[in-house]
Parts: sequence; C-alpha cells; structure tokens
Amino acid sequence: MEQQKKEKTESEKPRYIRAYAAMVLSRTLDKKIVSAQRQGRVGFYTPTMGQEALQVGISMALEKEDYVYGYYRDVPMMLHRGVPIETIINQIMGNSADTAKGRQMPSHYTSKAMHFMSVQSPVASNLPLAAGAAYALRYLKKKSVVVTTFGDGATSTPDFHAGMNLAAVFKLPLVFVCENNGYAISLPVERQTPVEISLKAVAYGMPGVKADGMNFVEMYNAAKKAIHDARSGNGPTLIDALSYRMGPHSTSDDPSKYRTDEVKEGSDRDPLVIGEKLLISMEFADDKLLEKIRNEAIKTVDEKFDACEKIPPPDPMTAFQDVYKNMTWMLEEEVKDIL
Amino acid sequence: MTSKPMNMVQALNSALDNLLSSDDRVILLGEDIGIDGGVFRVTDGLLAKYGAERVIDTPLVELGIVGMAIGMAIQGLRPIPEIQFQDFIYTAMDQIINQMAKIRFRSGGEYECPLVLRTPYGGGVKGGLYHSQSGESYFAHTAGLTVVTPSNPYDAKGLLVSAAQGDDPVIFLEPKRLYRTAKQEVPDDLYKIPIGKAQVLQTGNDLTFITYGSMVPTVMDTVKKNNLDADVLDLRTLVPVDKNAIMQSVQKTGRIIIVHEAPRTGGFGAEISAMITERGIDFLYAPILRVTGPDSPIPYRMEEYYAPNERRIMNAVKKVMESA
Ligand SMILES: Cc1ncc(C[n+]2csc(CCOP(=O)(O)OP(=O)(O)O)c2C)c(N)n1
Ligand SMILES: [Mg+2]
Repeated sequence: MEQQKKEKTESEKPRYIRAYAAMVLSRTLDKKIVSAQRQGRVGFYTPTMGQEALQVGISMALEKEDYVYGYYRDVPMMLHRGVPIETIINQIMGNSADTAKGRQMPSHYTSKAMHFMSVQSPVASNLPLAAGAAYALRYLKKKSVVVTTFGDGATSTPDFHAGMNLAAVFKLPLVFVCENNGYAISLPVERQTPVEISLKAVAYGMPGVKADGMNFVEMYNAAKKAIHDARSGNGPTLIDALSYRMGPHSTSDDPSKYRTDEVKEGSDRDPLVIGEKLLISMEFADDKLLEKIRNEAIKTVDEKFDACEKIPPPDPMTAFQDVYKNMTWMLEEEVKDIL
Repeated sequence: MTSKPMNMVQALNSALDNLLSSDDRVILLGEDIGIDGGVFRVTDGLLAKYGAERVIDTPLVELGIVGMAIGMAIQGLRPIPEIQFQDFIYTAMDQIINQMAKIRFRSGGEYECPLVLRTPYGGGVKGGLYHSQSGESYFAHTAGLTVVTPSNPYDAKGLLVSAAQGDDPVIFLEPKRLYRTAKQEVPDDLYKIPIGKAQVLQTGNDLTFITYGSMVPTVMDTVKKNNLDADVLDLRTLVPVDKNAIMQSVQKTGRIIIVHEAPRTGGFGAEISAMITERGIDFLYAPILRVTGPDSPIPYRMEEYYAPNERRIMNAVKKVMESA
C-alpha cells in the first residue's frame, strides 16, 4: 500500500515540476517584458505576476482536446499548455511572425494550434462565446471541455450573467474561472460586488467554489473536480480563484494611487514561493533543482526575447487582410490609396 | 425542380428547412423560435423536424444568442441565430461589432465566424418605436460584416442560402412589412442568389431609383402607376454594394433618387450618394435626392406618415426632372 502510494506520487513528480517551471518561465518573461517596456522596446503589457499558480493549476487539469476562451492575463496558462514562448513574445512585439500579424495591441494572444481562442479587449465578452463553443463541441460529440477565464471586474458585466445563465440552462461542459486578483484597475473587488464571487453561482443553479489561487496544487484539485464534472455531463462550475495582482494593471498604470496592500515578490504570499515550499515538502525538488529551473528560465527568456525582437514588422498589406475571406472592392480601392 | 407560391415567411422557412436538412452543422437559435415557430412564424415546424438540439429556444438574452452563435461558428458549426426584432439587437452590438465582425481579422485568419444573424426590421406592423426600426447603417458601418436585405420571397430564400453557405458573418435584415404582402413562385429545393449583386427590376431612360428591402414595392408601385421611364435597382446587398450596377445606371440616366425607410441622417443613402458623386459627378444632370424616413423615432398611431410614399417620391421625381 505505502509502496504503491509512493510510486503514484513519484509518477506525479514530472507533472508538478513542469507546473512550477511554467510559473517560473512566465514570471521571468513578465519581468523581462515590463523592463523592456520601460526601455521603450515594447509598447504595452498587462503583467501576470501573482496569477501564475491559479492558471497553471487549471491548465494541469486540462486535456489536449480541451479549449480555453481566456483573457489578456493568461500567459502562464498558455506557456503551461505548450504555446511556444515565441508566440507570446511575437504577439507583444506585433512583428511579422505574430499569429495575428501585429493587428492587436500587446497581451491579445491567439493560438488555434493550442486551442486558445484569440483574446479580445471588451471585458467578459468571451463568456457567451465559450458557451457557444461548449454547445458546439458537445453537439459534435467531442469529449472536450471549455474553460473560460476572466477577472473579478468581469463579474459585473451583462456578458458574465449571460454566459453563466446559458451554460447552466444548457448544462454545458464549461468551467468558469474568475481570476480574482482583488482589483479591476483601481476598483477593489469589495466595491465591484457586495457578495463573494463564488456565491453568484447559486443564482444559476451551478456549483460555485472558492479556491486558493496562490497555491497551484489546491487550484489543480479544484479544477480537476470542475473539469471532470463538466466532462461527465454534470454541467458548469464557477471557480473563484482567489489571488492577487502583484503588478500594476498594465504598464500604463500606477497602483500607488489606489492601494498599499501589496503582495511583494518573494514574500510568503507569492505563488512561486508557495509553489517552491510545496515541491520541497513533497520531496519533489530541492533548492538545487529549483535554482536550475530559475536559471534555465532566464536563459530561455533572454534568448527568445532577443531573437523575436530582431524579427521585422509585418508587411503593411497584412493590416488590411482577413477582414473578410476575400477583400471587398471598397477596401481594395482604399488600400490602393494608402499603400 | 418543384416549386410553389410562397410569401416571404414561407420562402425563408423553406430556406432554413433546406439548410438544416442538407448540413448537420446548421443550428438555429433564438427566442421563441422552437415550439412557437418564431413570432413571425419563420421557423414554424422546424423544431418538430430537426429536434431541440438544432432548433434551440434560448433564454431572453440577445447578447447571449449572438455570443453563443459566434462561439458555435468558431468551433465549426454554421449557426443561424434570430433576433426577434431588430430593435432589440442593441444589447448585442458589442458582440456583433467587437466579436463577430473581428474574429477573422484579430486572429490573423486562424479563426472564422461563418454565421447568419437574421432579424426582422422596419415598420408596417404598427409596432411603434420599439418594433419598427431600420438600423442597417449601424451594421453597414462595421468592417467585417456583410449586410443583406431581400425585398421579395424568391430573393429572400436565395440570399439566405448564399449567406448561410458563405464563410463570413452576415447580417440578414428581413423587411417585416413584406413578410406576407406578396407571393411568388419559389423552388422547394436549395438555390442561391449571389451576395453583392443588385437586381435591375425595371429599365428606363429618364431617371434611376436606387432602393432596397422594405421600400422596393413602394418604389415599383409608384413607377408603374405614374408610368415613369425609370431604372429601378434593388440593391439586395448593402455591404458590399454593387458599384457596377449603380454606376451603369448613373451613366445612362444621370438623375438619381435613393429611397429607404431608415432616417436620412447618416443613412445608407448618404453612402450611395457620396459613392456616385465621387466616381460619376460628370454624368449627373440633377442633384442626387434622397426620399427617406425622417430623423425621428417611428411613431405608433401616425406610422403612415413615416415611411416614404408615392406623394413624396413623386415630389422628388419632379425636382430631378426639372433640373437642367
Ligand atoms: C467592457 C470594457 N470596459 C472597460 C474596459 C477597460 N478595462 C480593461 S481591463 C479593466 C479592468 C478589468 O478588471 P478585471 O476584470 O478584474 O480583470 P484584471 O485586469 O484585474 O485581470 C478595464 C476597466 C474594457 N476593456 N472593457
Ligand atoms: Mg481583477
């Protein structure tokens, strides 16, 4: 018995190490982009710091055939799902290697190959799409689950209500993950809504659970149950992933104007510090391994960032393509005047 | 191919029936479209034939209907959502403008959004200001949307089939005023009428009427009753509009009257007028005139004063014919 348990845990080890490595890679990339933005090498960015554990926890519970209808802070999840780091950097740069050909401002990623829907700016408007996607996948007899992510601010929108209600009415294979980082730009979550976000699920007749989004193992367990329920035909769940936005809202934001309750990097609440402690207590890693993972991340990020930075901007013509499958005569005429 | 006389509602129903039976990816969704067959009966009988998984009665949430349809389209289906009245589409405008119209562009062409958003528009049923609006300009102004509006049963079916078999999102505006006013011989099977092509309903030499959707019969009746020697163009598609059909007629007659039910300011007639002057001002003998709905909401009791009528159209005819 003991032996079996130990073996099972041992086999889980690579999974946990990979999760931690994705968190570290994301954090390293986050810091790199923020500093590059200060040097004028990047236009804009929405840091992810503080939300690594919750996203990686979700991603650990997903299968390859599942889909994510995410939002602009989902870099850790993307990296963990296997989206190449270049896809993210090229999007930030808006260069000719970017999937979306430099059309969207930074932080609006797309990866069809990795089942990640392209990110829009209007908050929460991905939720009704996720409901439609879940409906379609079930109709097509796929075993896929859709996960949709959004912030705490998103819970005030009509799209949140619509998405939750539709998912519940049609009992869809859909999991709602509120990346509750405490703020919507400057507005604290207490001013966003007077109730705990998980309670909102009650109104739609679906389970609502709170999870410690700073602890990737807890998050993984919460996600595993919700995703399993969705896949087995038991309908949607709302997960309130309690976390903290450790960075500014974006590179254009100065949080000192509205908050002092910071979670500092390296402190006990930092999801990476919590993750390290977990790995050590599970005997999955020691300081040496953790150090190695951190150093590798720095090397990868530096190399990839430099390489992507050298990629030239997109051909100007691409700014006018893909509006329709075939360009309209009006746009053809207009483009002739521009180029 | 068998055919029978159908009004526009029956022709649309026949199109949806053909589409559902020929392609498993086609799904209908909207308020009261299933068991009730739609408040205008366009989807009558389809729930019984194709089941609740494909003919979906949704909760009352326009942005959700549109948003869900977009998600379905992205995952490979061919949804045809219905908005019960165009007047109620506005809560879904963010979904239409910022999602539906931009999926292909913003994903670098990785994702597509092939769907047809059907909705009845315009007056004619004594619906007052919230059941009678003509909002085509809102959609025509958004890159990424195709905007179609039929004026008769035959076109309604053929255009709907084309829209549903295309690869881009289409706003399909059904002139409810014409839902049951006329019958035409309509084939029972699938056929297509190309998008982006106007129809010349009659040819003449003195002047050109450019119109679409709900105002086509009003224009045709006026032309016939007054024996006008006029070209009448039914645009059928607003975006992309049939530039060649328009310019050919402009070159021939040089006198242009545009007729639509929507309010004048910022209306689609302004776009047509600008387009003609930009590329054909030398052909014109008279200023281009617009006969349109007024810049006021459409009223209930006094509705007959709202949409263009014979008297107002003939006033415009006098003006363009008097110009040198
Ligand atoms: C509909 C809409 N309104 C306003 C904005 C501007 N805006 C961008 S992010 C944001 C705050 C979102 O907060 P939250 O949902 O908590 O997500 P977080 O950024 O904290 O991850 C606002 C107001 C927007 N993008 N969309
Ligand atoms: Mg937030």
